[in-house]
Amino acid sequence: MIHVRQLTKDYADLRRGRFVALDGISFDARAGEIFGLLGPNGAGKTTALRILSTVLRPTSGTATVNGFDVLTQPSQVRHQIGFVSANTAMYDRMSAWEMVEYFGGLYGIAAGPLRERMERLFERLQMNDVRDLLGSKMSTGMKQKVSIARALVHDPPVLVFDEATAGLDVLVARALLRTVAELRDQGKCIVFSTHIMREAEKLCDRVAIMHHGRILAHGPIEGLRAQYGQPDLEELFFALVSQGDEGAQSDEYRVQSGEMMK
Amino acid sequence: MNWSNVRLIFRREVRDQLRDRRTLFMIVVLPILLYPLLGMSMFQVAQFIREQPTRVLVLGAEDLPAAPALIDEGKFAPALLNDPQSQGLTELHFAEVPAADAPERARQAVQQGDFEAVVSVPAGFARRLEMFRRDLSQRAAHERGGQPLADVRIPGPEIYYNTAKEKSQLAYLRVTKVLDRWTDAIGRENLKSSDLPESAARPFILAEHDTADESQRKAVVWSKILPFLLLIWALTGAFYPAVDLCAGEKERGTLETLLSSPAERSEIVWGKLLTVMLFSVVTAALNIFSMGLTGSLVMSQFPGVGPPPLWAPVLLLAALLPVSALFSALCLALAAFARSSKEGQYYLMPVLLVTMPLVLLPMSPGVELNLGNALIPITGVVLLLRTMLEGEYWQALPMLLPVAGVTILCCLFSIRWAIDQFNSESVLFRESERWDLGLWLKHMLRDREDTPSATEAVFCGVLILLVRFFMSFALPQPETFRDLAVLTVVTQLVVIGTPALLMTIMLTRSPARTLSLRLPPLASVPAAVLLAVALHPLAGAVNQLVQRLYPVSERMQQSLAALMADPPGAWQMVLVLGLVPAVIEELAFRGFMLSGFRRMGHKWRAIALSSFFFGITHAIFQQSIVACLLGMLIGYLVVQTGSLLPGIAFHFVHNSLALLATRATPAFLAAHEWLRAMGVSADEGLSYGWAVTFMGTALAVLLLAWFRGLSYARTSEERLQEAIDQNVSQPALGS
Repeated sequence: MIHVRQLTKDYADLRRGRFVALDGISFDARAGEIFGLLGPNGAGKTTALRILSTVLRPTSGTATVNGFDVLTQPSQVRHQIGFVSANTAMYDRMSAWEMVEYFGGLYGIAAGPLRERMERLFERLQMNDVRDLLGSKMSTGMKQKVSIARALVHDPPVLVFDEATAGLDVLVARALLRTVAELRDQGKCIVFSTHIMREAEKLCDRVAIMHHGRILAHGPIEGLRAQYGQPDLEELFFALVSQGDEGAQSDEYRVQSGEMMK
Repeated sequence: MNWSNVRLIFRREVRDQLRDRRTLFMIVVLPILLYPLLGMSMFQVAQFIREQPTRVLVLGAEDLPAAPALIDEGKFAPALLNDPQSQGLTELHFAEVPAADAPERARQAVQQGDFEAVVSVPAGFARRLEMFRRDLSQRAAHERGGQPLADVRIPGPEIYYNTAKEKSQLAYLRVTKVLDRWTDAIGRENLKSSDLPESAARPFILAEHDTADESQRKAVVWSKILPFLLLIWALTGAFYPAVDLCAGEKERGTLETLLSSPAERSEIVWGKLLTVMLFSVVTAALNIFSMGLTGSLVMSQFPGVGPPPLWAPVLLLAALLPVSALFSALCLALAAFARSSKEGQYYLMPVLLVTMPLVLLPMSPGVELNLGNALIPITGVVLLLRTMLEGEYWQALPMLLPVAGVTILCCLFSIRWAIDQFNSESVLFRESERWDLGLWLKHMLRDREDTPSATEAVFCGVLILLVRFFMSFALPQPETFRDLAVLTVVTQLVVIGTPALLMTIMLTRSPARTLSLRLPPLASVPAAVLLAVALHPLAGAVNQLVQRLYPVSERMQQSLAALMADPPGAWQMVLVLGLVPAVIEELAFRGFMLSGFRRMGHKWRAIALSSFFFGITHAIFQQSIVACLLGMLIGYLVVQTGSLLPGIAFHFVHNSLALLATRATPAFLAAHEWLRAMGVSADEGLSYGWAVTFMGTALAVLLLAWFRGLSYARTSEERLQEAIDQNVSQPALGS
C-alpha cells in the first residue's frame, strides 16, 4: 500500500544551516494493518506524513501510495488518503454537516451517494447531535470527530493519523482508538503517528521508532522487544533514543570535521 | 482543472465570508451609510467655514474720504460687498494712533493674533485725494489738448496680514475684495469729475464662449472622480477578503486541511480568486452607487454641475470586471505570503504605493488616451474610462483592444503568480523565526548551491537597477563619442558586471555552471551569428515601429545625434558599444540570472523573467521594449545550447550591425549599388525592403527550428516539472 524509500527532507535554516528534518527513511505499510510512527516531538513524524499527504514535497527519495507517486501524481495520491492531523483544523463558520459535505464534494462524490454515506458516517461516529453546530461552538473532541468523518467520507484505502489524540480527553481518545482499530479490521492501511507509547502498544501491528529524522528500528512490537531485550515499548524507546542521541552527536562531529577538510 | 471543485470552493468561501458580520458591514452597510453621512458633514463644514467671522482693525478711519464711502455705520459699505448679507462677517474695530506708530501697531496686532488683518489709512488721505481730484479736473478743463497729464499717485491704505494663519488669509481675501471695489469706485468718480466716460478705463469687456455642451460640462467632474473611486474601492474590496482567505486560513489552521483534499492548488486559487473578485466588484459597485446618489444630490446644489451621465454605470461595470480580476489576483498572491491576518494588513500600504501612481497619472492635466498610455496597465483602463465618460467614443474605441490585451495579460501573470505562491512550501509553511542579518549573510555564504536561487536572481536584477540609478547621478551626461565610450565601459563593468560576477563567486559553488561557461555544439555559434544577420532587417523594423508608438523626445534625439556627430572609426564603435555589452550583459542576464530563474522549473518563465530585467536595465524606454524581445531570443539560444557563447555571438553581431547601420549615409549607399538593389534605403534611418526583411525572417525561423531540435540540458527542477506535467512516477529524482 505505502512504500517509502530513502525519503529525505531538508530546509534552509539560518542558525543550523541545512536542517535535515527527514534523513533517508524507508518503510512499508500494508493493507489491514496499523503502522505506528513513534517518536518524540521534532522527530520528523509530521514531516513524513505531510509528504505522504502531498502537502510537502520531499527533497529526495520516493514515496508511493497505492502505486501513485507523491511527487508527480499528487492528485491521485490525495484520493487514496484520508488525513487527520493536529494541524488539519475545521472551519469556524461551517457546521459539521456542511464541512463533511464540502470535502465529499471535493472528492467528486455525487450528491445522492454522498448523502447516504454521510448519514451512515454520522450514525457510526455518533455525530448526529452536532450536525448543525458551527465549528466555532464545538469542543476539541467534537472537532476531531468531524475531522475523522471528513477523512472517511470518500472511503479511502489509506488513512493517516498524525498525533490524532493530541488534546483529547481520555474518553474521546479511547473512542478514537476504537474507531481506528475498526478501520483496520475493515482492511484499511493505517499509518498512526504518536508520542504516547501506550497507544502504540495497544493499537499498532508494526512500529517504526523515529528520532532526529531517522528510523532507529522498525518491525512488529513483539519482535523489537525480543531483539533489544526490553520488557516494554517505553523502555525500548528510551534505550533506542539515548543510543540514537550518541550516534547523532558523533555524526555532527563527523560533519564538522568533514567541512573543515574541504 | 476541475471546475466543479472551483465552484465548490467558491461557494464555500462566499458563504464563509457572508457569515462574518464584519465583512458584511464593511462591504454592504458601510458604503450605504458612509456617503450620505459624508455629504451631510460636508455641508456642515462648508457652512462653518463660510460663517466664520474675522476681526479687522482699521487705523486712521478718520482720514477716509466721505465719498465714495468705505465704511458705513461701523461696517463695510453694503455697495462694496458681493453679498450684502455677508456684511456682518467682517467685524471692524477702530483705533486712533499717531501716524508714526501705525506700522508698528498694525504689525503687533496681526502677529499677536488680536486681529486677523489691519487696514491702515495714511494720515491726510482724504485731503490728498481731494487735492488730487481737484488738480485733475482743473488741469482737464484748462489744458485739454496741451501736454499729457503726469502720472501721479498718492500714498494709499496698507493691509497687514499673516499668510501663516489661515484665518488671516481669509480676512485678507475679504478685505482686498472690498478695497478693490472701493478703488474702482474712486476711479469712476475721478473719470466723472474729468468729464470722461466710464468706458475710458475699460473700453471693452472680454466676451467668453464655452463650446462644450451641457452634458459634456457635467461629465468632466465625474469622468475624473468615478474612475479613481472605482479603482480604489476595487482594490480595497479585494484586499481584505484576500487576507482573510489566505492568511486567515493559515492562522486558523484550515489551510492544511484544504491542501490535503483532492483539490489542486490551481483549483484552490481559482475558487478563492473568484470569491475575492466577487467581493471586490460588489464593494466597488456599492460604493460607486452610493457615492453617485449622494453626489448627484449634493452637486445639484451647485450650478454647472449635474448628476453623472446615465450610461456611466454600464461603462464602470465593464471596466470594473478586468480591474477587479487583476487586483484580486495580486492581493491573493501577496496575502498567501502573509503568515497571519495582522501581517497581511501590513501589505496594503505597498500595494497602494504601487497602484496610486498608475491611478493618479491619468488624472494629471494633459495626459490623454493614446496608444502609449493605453499600454500601461491600470492607467490605460482609467484613461479609456475617462475618455468614454467624456463622450469621446471615437477616440476611445480603437484603444479598447490594446487596453483589454494588456489588462488580460497582467491578469494572467498575476493569477500565475498566485498559483505559484500556493505551490511554494516556503510561502505556505513559513514559520516565524528570529531573523538576524549576520546569520542570514552567513547562511547565504555557507549553504551555497551550484547555481543561484530564483530569489538571488531577482536580487541581482534589483541590485543592478539600484546601482544604475545612483550611478546616473554620479556620472556626467556624455557629450562626445569619447565620453560615451568611457561611460559605456564604466557602466557595464560597475553596474552590470560587478554585481553579477561578485554574486556568482560568493553565492554559488559552480561559477562555470552558473554562467553557462561550456562549449556549445559546434555549429551553434555560426548559427547564432547567422541568426543575428538574418534578423537584422526585422529588428530595425521593430525598432522603428516602437519609435512610432512611443516617439523619442526631441531633446533625446538631439543629444543622441550629437554623440554620433563626430563619427569614430567603425572598429572602435563595434568594440566599445558592440563587444563590451555583449560579453558583460550576457554574463549577468543569461548567465547568473537565467540560471537562477531556471531553478523554478519552467524554462520559458525563466527566459521571460531574465528578459524583463534585461529590458528594464536599459535606460531609454524605447530601447527597453526591443531589448526585452531580444532577451527572449538570446535566452532561448542559451538554454537550448547550454552555453553562453552563442548568446554572446548573437548579441555582438546584433549590436554591431545596428551600430554600423547608423553610418550608412545616402552617399554610402550610392557608392554601393548592390545594397540599393536589395531595397535598402536610408531616408529615415536605414531600412530594408519587404522582400529582404521577409527572407531574413524566414531564414531566422529555420535557424530557430534547428536550435529547437537540440537536446537541451534540463535542470533537476525542470525535469521534475515535466514529470508532474506528464503525471508519471519518476523514481530517479533528487540525485
